[in-house]
Amino acid sequence: MPKRDEERPRDDAGLAGFGRYAGPATLILSSLADGPKHGYALTKDVEEFAGVRLAPGTLYEALARLESQGMIEALAAEDRRRPYRLTAAGATALQAHLDAQRRATETGLRRLKANWGTV
Amino acid sequence: MTTPQERAARLLRWYPKAWRHRYGEEFAELLIADIEERPVSAPRAVDVAQAGLLARLAMAGLAEPHLAWQPDPARRVQVSLGALCGALTACLALAAAMWSQLAIAWEWTPSATATATAPTMRATLVMSGALLVFLLLIVLAVAPVGYAIARNFTVRFLGPLLALAAAVSLLAFGGHHFLYQWPGSGGQGEGGTLFPVIPAGLQAFAWSLTYWFSAHWFWLATGLGGWEIAWIAASPLALAAAAAAAASLVRRAELSPRLLAYETRLAATTCAVTGVFLGGCGYWVYVGRSPGLAHAGVIDIAAAVLLALALAAAYQAQRTALRGLHLVRN
Repeated sequence: MPKRDEERPRDDAGLAGFGRYAGPATLILSSLADGPKHGYALTKDVEEFAGVRLAPGTLYEALARLESQGMIEALAAEDRRRPYRLTAAGATALQAHLDAQRRATETGLRRLKANWGTV
Repeated sequence: MTTPQERAARLLRWYPKAWRHRYGEEFAELLIADIEERPVSAPRAVDVAQAGLLARLAMAGLAEPHLAWQPDPARRVQVSLGALCGALTACLALAAAMWSQLAIAWEWTPSATATATAPTMRATLVMSGALLVFLLLIVLAVAPVGYAIARNFTVRFLGPLLALAAAVSLLAFGGHHFLYQWPGSGGQGEGGTLFPVIPAGLQAFAWSLTYWFSAHWFWLATGLGGWEIAWIAASPLALAAAAAAAASLVRRAELSPRLLAYETRLAATTCAVTGVFLGGCGYWVYVGRSPGLAHAGVIDIAAAVLLALALAAAYQAQRTALRGLHLVRN
């Protein structure tokens, strides 16, 4: 996705500051990285690539937080459905969050392999 | 059989109006699609209820001041301070109810038996000190807000100001009228050990104001006249009206970021002082289990639990205001 603005996340803690909504927020941003989607399309996409079904209340709690942090933005409503798209700030936050997760994953896998002989 | 549209509309009612205004239509569409796909889902109902209640808490200034559907952060800080005002009024009412009953019990305790109840006396002194500091902090908090309202007075303050004046007048008049009207109320004791420390009129006034929250009237129920019963019913309503009017004034006032920061810091101190009072109260409940005038009964334990809940709400409102303030500054 092209960068639409230079806005950075207002919360320095990024997705870590989302508390229990950090997981759903990561899934939503990952889904929107592929293009704008409305609520139901987001749910189906996340279910498909992550095997997790986001409940409606949780989805909109996370969407509201992401929107208030400038990580996503709402587009004009189509019918009664409103699509959301990733912003540059959201892409940066997602990148940082996934990098941190990858480092943790790689460390875990390396240690498992070294000490337990798995992987 | 209800349609998915009707069920979605029913679920949507968990959310406050402002939230529904921003997300209502799209959320209803998502719910309809979800209901058509999974007609029965208890987790969905629980999830929506939980998220809706959280949104209502946010609307009341008790959670997350920065959500997109809410107005600007500075207003949110004031909403949180309004909620804080209500929660601290509840704390004050409960604290005054417990303190006055305990202080009056002490007044009626003959000096000769005071040694045996020394731990209760210590608890009373801690509660008295905390309550005094609490009242001083209220003065420090109210004065600048009052000044800000007076400087920018407009007709929008008139309604809550009149309501506040009416409620406070009723409380002052009724509290004074019923000062020594109840059997066992202050000022008639036998010169107990706390009598010189705590003015009898003050504890009797606090007793009279909070008489509705005591087990005492229950035992006297048959002997109560119409005016007494009317006062028991009217005084908590007047207290609630005063708290609501004060909260409304705080929400409507034009408060500078500096004043908001001052009030938020003061609120943190007030919460800490209330915590000290609660500690003293907990100590009293623990040591006051034995029979006697300073005995802590079920009503006192209930008051302590309610005070803890009101304090938790006040603390949450203060934290929310602080987070809102952080957003205002950035």
